[in-house]
Amino acid sequence: MTAGALDLTGVACPMNWVKIKLALERLAPGDELTVRLDPGEPLESVPRSAREDGHAVAVDGELVTIVKR
Amino acid sequence: MTLSESELERYSRQLVLPEWSGEAQERLKSASAIVVGAGALGSPAATYLAAAGVGRLGVVDEDVVELSNLHRQPLHWSPDVGRQKAENAALKLGVLNSEVAIDPYPVRLDEQNVAAIVMGADVVVDCSDSFATRYVVNDACCAQRVPLVEAGVLGFQGLVLSIRPGESACYRCAFPTEPPAGSVPSCREAGVLGATAGVLGSIQALEAIKLLTGVGTPLLDRILQIDAASMEQTIVSTTRRADCPACGRLGAAPQSD
Repeated sequence: MTAGALDLTGVACPMNWVKIKLALERLAPGDELTVRLDPGEPLESVPRSAREDGHAVAVDGELVTIVKR
Repeated sequence: MTLSESELERYSRQLVLPEWSGEAQERLKSASAIVVGAGALGSPAATYLAAAGVGRLGVVDEDVVELSNLHRQPLHWSPDVGRQKAENAALKLGVLNSEVAIDPYPVRLDEQNVAAIVMGADVVVDCSDSFATRYVVNDACCAQRVPLVEAGVLGFQGLVLSIRPGESACYRCAFPTEPPAGSVPSCREAGVLGATAGVLGSIQALEAIKLLTGVGTPLLDRILQIDAASMEQTIVSTTRRADCPACGRLGAAPQSD
């Protein structure tokens, strides 16, 4: 289920990941967090960070959906 | 307890650590630490605790800054010579991080005042320069079950031991008897490079952060010994003594929060 959404356009690395990480801490396993990211480093780096932390990640354009592990 | 936008930015490079979390940061923010001594060990220990975002930080030192302190006590600068060390440290740490409440204690820590100073603290970092003070700090922390980080530096040699009273060996368990006065050279006699003390004080801050947040594995029942000249590092196991006059009668600590 979708439990949250964050518009992180204009937020650079690693602050975007800080905000996502803290938002994920407040969710339950299986909850989805959808975030909008800028192209470039954010869209390249954030999905990788989320996967490295064990979350499932789907990227659709500038929208990234993270399913909390 | 929530973190402000400026706190998120200030702590962003530790918040992104996989081992760290917003919860760990909030635990640190709700914690109170006491650093005994604002000298060679206390300067880096207090600096890193304040920088990392501990909520409340007490700094205990009765001395006045001397020119001969500056090579190893980086909280104190040339214009500070003659200033009270605890007050000067509090001033510097407050400028570094105004999110931290800093309490200067411009007193010599002794058997009379130690109980009141460590009361309510979540961790004590002992950066004092005498064996006598270390035993006083250790015994008070044991009596009040306050976690403690002990360290010492002499020349290029240093050691660090973290203590959870009632659960792991205390300083008196590891070092039951105080060396006779005069048998061990004081720091003043032995000399020290500031950077050597800086390594040990930084490790103390790291250990305190680990004890406060539960992140990582502190040096409980393990004494870290460093020879900074060769950079050889050894970990020596230690264990509680049933007959320890400081902690022998403490049972396992009751679970807090």
